[in-house]
Amino acid sequence: MYFDYAAATPVDKKVLTAMSPYFSDQFYNPSSAYSPARQVRADYQAAKHRIAQVIGAKPAEIIITSGATESINLALAQCHSGLDPESGVITTAIEHPAVLETARQNGARILPVDSKGRVDPENLEKYITDDIKIVSIGYANNELGVVQNLKAVAEICRQKRLERVESGVAMPLVLHTDASQAAGLLDINVARLGVDLMTLSSGKCYGPKGVGLLYVRAGVVLDPLFNGGGQEAGLRSGTENVAGVMGFATALEMAEKKRKNEVRRLEGLQRNLEKYIISDIKNAELHSISKQKLPNIINFSVEGLDAERAVFALDQRGVQVSTGSACAANKGTRSHVLTAIGLSPAAADGSLRISLGRGTTKKEIEEFKPILKEIIDHEQKLS
Amino acid sequence: MSGGVDSSLSAALLVEAGYDVTGVYMKNWSRDLPGMKCPWAEDLADAKRVAVQLGIPFQVFDFESEYKHLVVDYMIGEYQRGRTPNPDVMCNQEVKFGIFLRASLDDGADMIATGHYAQIVRKTGSSSGCSGPVSKSSPENFSEDRKHCSGVPLLRSTRTALSGSPVFLVRGKDENKDQTYFLYRVTESALERTLFPIGHLTKPEVRAEAEKRGLVTAGRRDSQGICFVGNVGIREFLSQYVETAPGDILEQETGRKLGRHDGAIFYTFGQRHNLGVGGGLPYYVVGKDMEKNEVYVSANLNNDEFWREELVLSDPHWINQPPRVGHKYQVRLRHRAPLIDCTVGGEVVKLENPERAIAPGQSAVIYDGEVVLGGGIVT
Repeated sequence: MYFDYAAATPVDKKVLTAMSPYFSDQFYNPSSAYSPARQVRADYQAAKHRIAQVIGAKPAEIIITSGATESINLALAQCHSGLDPESGVITTAIEHPAVLETARQNGARILPVDSKGRVDPENLEKYITDDIKIVSIGYANNELGVVQNLKAVAEICRQKRLERVESGVAMPLVLHTDASQAAGLLDINVARLGVDLMTLSSGKCYGPKGVGLLYVRAGVVLDPLFNGGGQEAGLRSGTENVAGVMGFATALEMAEKKRKNEVRRLEGLQRNLEKYIISDIKNAELHSISKQKLPNIINFSVEGLDAERAVFALDQRGVQVSTGSACAANKGTRSHVLTAIGLSPAAADGSLRISLGRGTTKKEIEEFKPILKEIIDHEQKLS
Repeated sequence: MSGGVDSSLSAALLVEAGYDVTGVYMKNWSRDLPGMKCPWAEDLADAKRVAVQLGIPFQVFDFESEYKHLVVDYMIGEYQRGRTPNPDVMCNQEVKFGIFLRASLDDGADMIATGHYAQIVRKTGSSSGCSGPVSKSSPENFSEDRKHCSGVPLLRSTRTALSGSPVFLVRGKDENKDQTYFLYRVTESALERTLFPIGHLTKPEVRAEAEKRGLVTAGRRDSQGICFVGNVGIREFLSQYVETAPGDILEQETGRKLGRHDGAIFYTFGQRHNLGVGGGLPYYVVGKDMEKNEVYVSANLNNDEFWREELVLSDPHWINQPPRVGHKYQVRLRHRAPLIDCTVGGEVVKLENPERAIAPGQSAVIYDGEVVLGGGIVT
């Protein structure tokens, strides 16, 4: 029983089919001059066109990368204004380490969140001084599932930009969002969201791992991380990952097509499981709110539980879930996200994240419930 | 529980024997070194996985500062004095059977257990579930007495074991894995509180038993012991802590300069040295002067420096009683090295035949048959 779709999703069969010719028959380098290679190039560009359509962008605004981490690095690497170590980028305390670590190296100001992980847009407004170049706010949080009001954030950025123009401040202001968890679950249309940069990950939406993209609104200037042959409009050199992009395009289209029904279905399963956790698991406390959350993530704490023990015990029963944060568990440190929303160390250590996906069924949820309860009850005694 | 198969199976055997077991991971070292990521977090997770599998509580004892102080600083200091220390011996004496034992007892434990390949034989009364009555003066009879003995004494004998009767440290069944060479400095009172649940098994048996129980660590590679010396090597490790300077390599017999070295601290007595002199005989390190930063080598394997008929032990430690004068014992000069006949008088070990010498700072461990008497550090 797999309940860790926020960590990785299986590649859809249709996605795999779309990819497979480009490993062997259509192996050509898209930059080569002969006709089979030019066909591959055309296919690649068509795939990027399809991706652009899904997110409401122009194909030239899509920069393909090796995944979300690279996209984030590309987006944030240039944002340091060079004036003050705390100038350059504003981000939130609950971002993925890819954002936080990159931001810290480039002069970060960290925006606090409330006890549910929400950013207060009015508070953000006060943080945006004239030395800020980038605002980077995750669309949906991978641990808590909380969804930020990006439209409100975009509106604040737009106002600030106007103020800067009026007062003659030359510093640009760019809004980046890490939307890795959002594809297939939320509206990822860049025009409607009002963002300038957006990171997406193929591996989180039933596409292959090792592929991602950075949407770069026309007019936003970035410096490349890699030097080389000048692919991806000079922003990302290296021979194109054709098979990966074919898969990514198919995966994104499918995710968008299924989105409305899948969200409704997942919301039902999520509600069902949340109700069970609250009513049947002693001392369980949910960390999600009723609105403004992803339909597939359930994060809860059981005070006194050693969540890592529960993960190992569930694993030994063939059930895969995550502690509050997989990365944090590997490093033996507490999740910065759970700390940021004000959880006590005991509550953070007793936090489990269950994330649902396309393969999750009602039947599976029903089978999971008693196992979850049994193991939490048992491990709570030993923790 | 280190996350390796030996301590995993040890815990499983204790649980099966009915003990009330708590798994403990000792966090002694977590620092990454150039080119080597310290695997402590994965080791800890594996140890915890097994604890969960066995349904036992699990704790982490953080001894990083103690370990640095008692083992690492000692090791670096010895190297700086031109000697070749054995950090495993010090780790057992000071950390595992010192502070870990004390912390466990303070926490309410009756005994500690480790996955060492070594055995403990307790001279118990007639109610012993393990060995028959043995005479303290004749531990030679142990092999007979131990025939029906597993590594885990029956629970009811635990109390008897703590009655103050002598406790003997005995070689592990697996001749290849026997770790008593590293355990000779453990005190008798610590051994009284210790169980070695797998000492009666061989390594292949341990793996098979772990597999039989489906332990998640059954197929795991052997742990490195001291993780920081593991893959990096002592040279790279010392380079992190000690400033070194190049110096001369001199032929011991003639004083002739044969080449340069990058720090005398990196050279160990007996080490074969490739001087880059083509066609010649291999040279071996026979000594060094840390003050002058000089390394002395010789190509003559009959050089007196290489051979010893007598060893002088500094800081000797005897687990039960000091050796008897005139009695024939055996000495082991390296982990897994063959046992050599000897006699012991005070701090002097007389070898029956001249033996290849070992580096100052290494240990000589005295055995009476299967029983470890103790030993000392070679001067």
